[in-house]
Amino acid sequence: MIRNSEVKSILNRFPKFGDFSIGLEYAPRLPKGIIKETKEIVAYVRKFNDEVVRPNALPLDRKTHEDPDYLPYDLMKKANDWGLYTMWIPKMFGGKGKNLPSASFAIEEMASACVGIANVVMVHYLGFSSLLTSFNMRVTNRIIKDVLEGEKNGGPCLIAFAITEPGAGTDVEDMELVDRGKVVCRAERVNGGYVINGRKVFISMGHVSEWTVFYAYTDLKKPSQAMIELVVRKGTRGFSLGRHEDKMGQRVCPASEIIFDDCFIPDDQVLIDSYSIKKFTGRSQEEVMMKHFDMLASSSKAGVCAMGVGVARGALEEALKFASETEVKGKLLINHEWAQCLLAEMYKNVVLGRLAYIEANNANSHRGIYEMLQMKPIFYYLKYMPKSFFKMLSPMLNMNMTTWAMSTMYLHMKKSEDVNLTSGTSSLAKVAGSDLGIRNCQLAMDLMGEAGLRHDQGVEKRLRDSKLLQIYEGSNQMNRVTLFKGLIAPFFSQARVFNEGREDGI
Amino acid sequence: MIILLNEEMKSFEDLASSFASKELSPHREEGDRFPFGPFNNDILAKAHGVGFLCITLSEDLGGIGQGISALCVILECLCRMDASLGSIIFTSTLSQEIIIRAGREDVLRNITSSAGGPKDLLIAFPAYSNPSEHSSLPLATKGKNGPMLSGAVNYLVLAGIASRALIPARISGQDGYSFFLVDLSDAKVKISDPIFSLGLHACPAADVKLNNAEATLIGNEGEGKTYFEDASNMMNAAAAAMSLGIMRGAFEDALAYCNEREQGGWPIVNWSEMKMILADMAIKMNIANMAVSEACHAIEKKTYGWNVCAKAAALHVQESACHVTTDGIQALGGYGYMKDYGQEKRFRDAQQMKTLLGSSPMRKIEFIDQLNVEG
Ligand SMILES: Cc1cc2nc3c(=O)[nH]c(=O)nc-3n(C[C@H](O)[C@H](O)[C@H](O)COP(=O)(O)OP(=O)(O)OC[C@H]3O[C@@H](n4cnc5c(N)ncnc54)[C@H](O)[C@@H]3O)c2cc1C
Repeated sequence: MIRNSEVKSILNRFPKFGDFSIGLEYAPRLPKGIIKETKEIVAYVRKFNDEVVRPNALPLDRKTHEDPDYLPYDLMKKANDWGLYTMWIPKMFGGKGKNLPSASFAIEEMASACVGIANVVMVHYLGFSSLLTSFNMRVTNRIIKDVLEGEKNGGPCLIAFAITEPGAGTDVEDMELVDRGKVVCRAERVNGGYVINGRKVFISMGHVSEWTVFYAYTDLKKPSQAMIELVVRKGTRGFSLGRHEDKMGQRVCPASEIIFDDCFIPDDQVLIDSYSIKKFTGRSQEEVMMKHFDMLASSSKAGVCAMGVGVARGALEEALKFASETEVKGKLLINHEWAQCLLAEMYKNVVLGRLAYIEANNANSHRGIYEMLQMKPIFYYLKYMPKSFFKMLSPMLNMNMTTWAMSTMYLHMKKSEDVNLTSGTSSLAKVAGSDLGIRNCQLAMDLMGEAGLRHDQGVEKRLRDSKLLQIYEGSNQMNRVTLFKGLIAPFFSQARVFNEGREDGI
Repeated sequence: MIILLNEEMKSFEDLASSFASKELSPHREEGDRFPFGPFNNDILAKAHGVGFLCITLSEDLGGIGQGISALCVILECLCRMDASLGSIIFTSTLSQEIIIRAGREDVLRNITSSAGGPKDLLIAFPAYSNPSEHSSLPLATKGKNGPMLSGAVNYLVLAGIASRALIPARISGQDGYSFFLVDLSDAKVKISDPIFSLGLHACPAADVKLNNAEATLIGNEGEGKTYFEDASNMMNAAAAAMSLGIMRGAFEDALAYCNEREQGGWPIVNWSEMKMILADMAIKMNIANMAVSEACHAIEKKTYGWNVCAKAAALHVQESACHVTTDGIQALGGYGYMKDYGQEKRFRDAQQMKTLLGSSPMRKIEFIDQLNVEG
């Protein structure tokens, strides 16, 4: 019918078959054990929702309005007691090692009850992912030990992630932009480490996290080639917390300003810098940092999509409850045809959003950051080996060789084609999930009319919470460009992104 | 607004704009903290001082005798800065207009002539619903001294600050509903704590329970629907003007920010995708402006189909305002989500306003039913 070579070349044309059939291609490689494990996690989080999230969502949101300085220590303690801060930390670091795509299902569940609380739990994994994708196994291992210790002794030890600066939000997220931006977080090389000066803003859970992974620049004039990744502990001299932002929604999850004032960070808290890049990858600093961000964002953006889906689902559940209990013009709302179509539209949004994050995770598992952990032999090996085995393995993580091997595999050898696919697909999911999250909240509010306006009904809070999803993890505009860059531009040699202004020498 | 055809309208625009920047702007954030912060009585007193609480009442009734155009001009200018005062004015004006349509100018004259302060002038109303949609309105019975009301009124806007309320209630054995004026200080009226709502925080509302509260019948028994529809036909234009004001504020702040904020080495207004967002906002705002102006014109001239025109304007502009304010936050990125910038408040207020005079889907259904009947 058609020759094999022909099939390949035809399918490689735009739109490339492999780019939109990721799930199909990945399916045979999926370890079956993941399904059972994911089901258990969803059930576990539903229980957590019943016992912790739902009873707290509205009262805590109200409390943050009464007292804008409120910080969620109680919630963190509960999440810690439930083991949620080590749930998705791989076993080799001593965590519970649940499969990473299952985190998205968990996020959807939590966000369906309260996306702010979901963030209190899950932003920690943004911090963790930024450690993991540095592939600096020694430093990562050290920080995670604190997290494990925190779980054991009941004092949660969380990791925040800080890249945004007051004058550079979008600019710090792409190496094409950062050199044109106004970054101020400066790292000066000194004996035994770096001295940091500057500020970061909007850092989720900044006030309450023990560790903060952050980025600084050894040369503010050429940041793309001078960006380094470090980690700082709360209480370090020269590191302080500034404003606790007064936000529209997700109020239970604080957004913090963090300030570095001659803050010394020793070498053993440096995750990536020019020396480690030279030692472990042999690539340019710009290239390594872009790969690091793309891999990090590919997992976290799937998570933001899941938050959007969770919000959308929560709004649907709220709307359904209301429609089945409320009479309008002498008839239950659920029996008005327009309401049925509106509810169906909301249901459709939830399902489509879920497919988007599942596909983004398929891409991560098939050709991205989860690839190794999701391989059948490795998955089962990690799943069934006893804890003592990983304890024995732990010192290996501190060896340069391990960091070299991981950096080579991911930061050096990872094909740009794979990185394009995972980052484009996760941006697609992020935009889709966040947009439909808001959409469903608005539809629920339309349906509920006056009742929907009240705080005690819950849906207005969801609307306030959901708007943030279009902003963080890169604005949706930025993510559309990333989608274009990853999934479309490679097929059009004329295409350039962020090129506007270059003609004017900017 | 395009209806600024004459000097008089221009002077109302100047007055309301300067009121907004002098009185509303400095207190916007603080006012938004209600019910967890104090209600700003001072602003209300000043609004009363310049006649904003009785814009459409004739001078004879103690008002400033203006029509829908002046009301819309004032509401738009106020809401551009902060929509809460606009909503207070809207709600009380709606009550006044219903009372006028019910032929009870005497009641209004009494209220204005005996008012000791602004709160005595305000008349609360359940402005987020259409009484016809409710299956459980309070019940009116005959008492010794006249009608008495029992039952619950949810989301009574201005309850907690107004002295009186205009309440729709059913008279047992009769179809339809009637309006009654109730003194909210009556011991038989129980007012809940202020409702904590999505937006318009500085326009308080509460749930009210009536237990044989004395009431005055306003207009004819069973004619409530007619008065409400007549008044709301006109007030649709005012609702649209408020949403237009919010849109204008959101657009102006977004444009100013985009000219100032630099990303990628130049002001973000230069990125063509940002121009698209701003253009969409500006287009929606301009179309809303035309719709409100045309609605005012149609109402004042009582041209054929004026009521349809005003209703369509309200539905369209309120929906547009939700889109524009969403983009208004987006243009400011993370800063747009923070309370120290006005955009997040506009986003909440616009969404809240979409429910004025009833939920938008039900209003759409009524709209098409009305068109169908009127041909
Ligand atoms: C509550 C909250 C929590 C957050 N949590 C964290 C966190 O934990 N860690 C962290 O590091 N950051 C965090 N952020 C920061 C977040 O990622 C940034 O807000 C986001 O990247 C946008 O940056 P910005 O706010 O500086 O907006 P800007 O970059 O100034 O953008 C403003 C507007 O301009 C547009 N724009 C900018 N550049 C371009 C361009 N090139 N082309 C087209 N349009 C453009 C944007 O799309 C946006 O609409 C958080 C933000 C918020 C609000």
